Amino acid sequence: MEQFNNRNVAEGGYYLVDIEDYPTDGWGKFKRVVKRTFRGELFVGLWVVLREMIRFDLHTISYPEEKMPIGPRYRAIHEMKRLWESDTERCIGCGLCEKICISDCIRMDTKIDENSRKEVSEYTINLGRCIFCGYCAEVCPELAITHGGEYENASDQREHFVDYEYMLTPIDVMKQNAQKEFEGYGAITPHEDERVKKTPLAY
Amino acid sequence: MEKMINFKIDGQNVEAKKGETILQVARQNDIYIPTMCYISKTTPCASCRMCVVEAEGVDGFVLSCNTPPTEGINITTNNAELEQERVNIMKLYDVNHPLECGVCDKSGECDLQNKTLEFDVSQQNFTARDQSRGIEEWGLINYDPALCILCEKCTHVCNEVIGDDAIDVKFGGYGSTIIPKNAETLDCTFCGECIAVCPVGALISSDFKYSANAWELSRVPSTCAHCSAGCSLEYELKQSSRETTASSIYRVKNNFEFTSLCGAGRFGFDFDNKAEKSEVAFANAVEALQNATAIRFSSVITNEEAHILQLLKEKLDIKLFNEDARLYGAFMKSYSSVSGKLHHSGSLDAIKQSDAAIIIGSRVATDNPGVRYALTTASRHNGAKIIYAHPMEDALMQNSVTQFMKYEAGSEEGVIALLANELLKDADISNEERAYLLDLDLGYLEAESNVGDDELKLMSKSFARSSQKVLIVGSDLFAHKRALNIAKLVALIEKYSEFSVVMIPSEVNSAGVSLLCDLDKDENLSSVVAYGDAKGDFVISSLEGADLAVGALNQQEGTVVSIDNRVLPMNVALSFDGYTLNDLAKELDVEKENTIDYTEELKSEAGFKAIAFDDLENFLDSYGNDVRGYILDEVECEMNGELETVEDLPEFNGTIIYHSNPVLQFNAYTNATKQLEKDRTLRGSAQFSTAARISDGDRVLVSFGSQKIERIFKLDSELKGTVALNPTFDISVDASEYKFIKSKIERVVK
Repeated sequence: MEQFNNRNVAEGGYYLVDIEDYPTDGWGKFKRVVKRTFRGELFVGLWVVLREMIRFDLHTISYPEEKMPIGPRYRAIHEMKRLWESDTERCIGCGLCEKICISDCIRMDTKIDENSRKEVSEYTINLGRCIFCGYCAEVCPELAITHGGEYENASDQREHFVDYEYMLTPIDVMKQNAQKEFEGYGAITPHEDERVKKTPLAY
Repeated sequence: MEKMINFKIDGQNVEAKKGETILQVARQNDIYIPTMCYISKTTPCASCRMCVVEAEGVDGFVLSCNTPPTEGINITTNNAELEQERVNIMKLYDVNHPLECGVCDKSGECDLQNKTLEFDVSQQNFTARDQSRGIEEWGLINYDPALCILCEKCTHVCNEVIGDDAIDVKFGGYGSTIIPKNAETLDCTFCGECIAVCPVGALISSDFKYSANAWELSRVPSTCAHCSAGCSLEYELKQSSRETTASSIYRVKNNFEFTSLCGAGRFGFDFDNKAEKSEVAFANAVEALQNATAIRFSSVITNEEAHILQLLKEKLDIKLFNEDARLYGAFMKSYSSVSGKLHHSGSLDAIKQSDAAIIIGSRVATDNPGVRYALTTASRHNGAKIIYAHPMEDALMQNSVTQFMKYEAGSEEGVIALLANELLKDADISNEERAYLLDLDLGYLEAESNVGDDELKLMSKSFARSSQKVLIVGSDLFAHKRALNIAKLVALIEKYSEFSVVMIPSEVNSAGVSLLCDLDKDENLSSVVAYGDAKGDFVISSLEGADLAVGALNQQEGTVVSIDNRVLPMNVALSFDGYTLNDLAKELDVEKENTIDYTEELKSEAGFKAIAFDDLENFLDSYGNDVRGYILDEVECEMNGELETVEDLPEFNGTIIYHSNPVLQFNAYTNATKQLEKDRTLRGSAQFSTAARISDGDRVLVSFGSQKIERIFKLDSELKGTVALNPTFDISVDASEYKFIKSKIERVVK
């Protein structure tokens, strides 16, 4: 990043590009057309294509068979994470994501479960409304709801819901320790440990 | 004119009445003093010490919640030292408070949360060894000691306002908790007022637990639909699942700072009608009404519906039957003929402010908890002398009642006459009326009613120094054979003494119905249409099994008349996709678009004002003034009533049962709710069980009048005497019958 922060054009390899002035009169324009036509620039491009075709070194990918890897901070369809320690769900049903959602697309219901804990009984996100702002992931106190890399959410309906089970990390993925932490909005920043204040325990 | 105390708060000139505290004056003048434990309707707990202020010339801080101002003093509510003091208090409150706001039901409306943020306590500086304390489950109420901050609001309310006195603080320093008083588990009337006042999530409704967050719920202000106390409440609603767009009620809250609510109002909210719209049933109902000879209805309806029924009566030339309201109306009419006023003079506020009260003819703790709470408040705050005249003692009232005056069932006329004679001893009354009192055969009345001369003397003595007196008349008297003369005697007492009178209408809108409808005496006719909780050949009701379903009182707009003679609005909490009485009336050419269009047309001769429904307010302002609805105009009546001679007092021998519901139950609507306990047993004392030759747990067949009902007998150690309590919320009984009734009880042998 440092190299870009230095905006002093006098050093650091900056140089002026010599760009010809555009022709203004008809004769000038005619001369440019003739020059470009007979310089054989076209064949430079054709040669590149031909060369690459022979080499089979393709830079385009054939979507949807092939997909680009997505950045770890990309904000696409939400994911519900599990705890590493116990594989149980992280969501505690506090309802903050529902409250903060500015497009009002999250809806949840909670109830008391058999262990007298708060349990999420219904959880849906209407992707038709979601603007993928990331507030829900940022506000989540448990790092439970995050964004994921799944960006294919085209639908033939305006309303397009995903529910809790869909977003939750599958248990087998969890068993393989393959759950990926989200690094974007709401994630723990580096050196967070050093900033945590501990409750004094001097009794 | 009372002398006012002038002083200054933060440089602002304010004045206080005698007895008012600095905090009260500050709040009246919109000056903010933070508090954690203060609650307007009780005496100050003074446990939080957040309300400290500085008084000029006084060393140290002063607690504004329990200190009255002195003339000319200068009060400072905030400066750096006071701020520091309050921050320190908040820091102590936050020591080891569980950081579970994410799941706590109180989050979003929590005093501790608000104040912690207000005083910017972001870390814990103090230490204390945390303790392992489990959640206590007390039925409808759960208690989490870990969340409790020991503000003592709950114990103060339970003791001073409700009168259950069921919870107490177990003192033990950092280990202090709230415990059920003298019992293993909570044994109380489950009013849930402790839940309402709890500033944190320590005391919560077990049904509501973890079901919604405070900010998700939308609020509908309304009036409780269960008894005539007309308590204000707010239904809190949320979309009930993702399968439906309809909302359901999640809980009920009240403005606990100034008002109280009993458990029936708080937990009995799901009496709405879930039936679907049926056009066939509607057509049948129209036909049934066209061919009807009479409409029989209950008083659990709004004024507007009562008005429509009256219009239907005129239009179709049919009769209207409602024994409960008819008897109440007749009683009031007879009362008016002596007192000269259409409405009774007292109110719940008058009871709260009284220092002497007589209550007769009502098992009030279960008949009308609003009156009970008012009496408890009077007893605790004014040291009121409360005379409880009834054939049966009530354990629920024993904390506030100062004198129990037991009389024989059926002898109410005699008792009222004796009371009138005693209370009007030195009154300046007309010669005729004096002669009437002198004519009473006191010896006979005392002997037959079992109310002794010494009891009456004791009453007079205890009332000697009181100035605000109330006579509360219960629903036992309305169905009494001699009700009309009793009403006149009541009016006589009111007319010539300092007593104001409160009648307790038996149902939520008995008073309104009796004012709006010309009711006929019930007869056994054919083709009677029933409306509400009543019997008939075609039933239009919001209860299960109706021929035409209509909305319940939490599904429609309308007004009711409360015990305070206040016209109170009810609002639509839940939607009902069906027909209303007004739709039927429209079919029969009684034309108004909406039911509430009738609100401004209600009978002005009865004191109703021409105010449209949408102009009625439904809230208490921030100073605690009740601005709900409006109070009925006072109406003058002709004073042509003449006292009748007291008849020979009837004798009730044999097996007597008394129609009285258990706590939290009133009628078929409370019976339809999920949370309220439904104690259908016949409850009697050990003496009763010996006399009736039945024992605890026996299945018995109770026959009274023309009715027979099978019940389980329950021995109740709190009861005395030879009368058993028979609940009526699950059966319909003839409202024209006196509530004490001779019965036959047989054991059912299996």
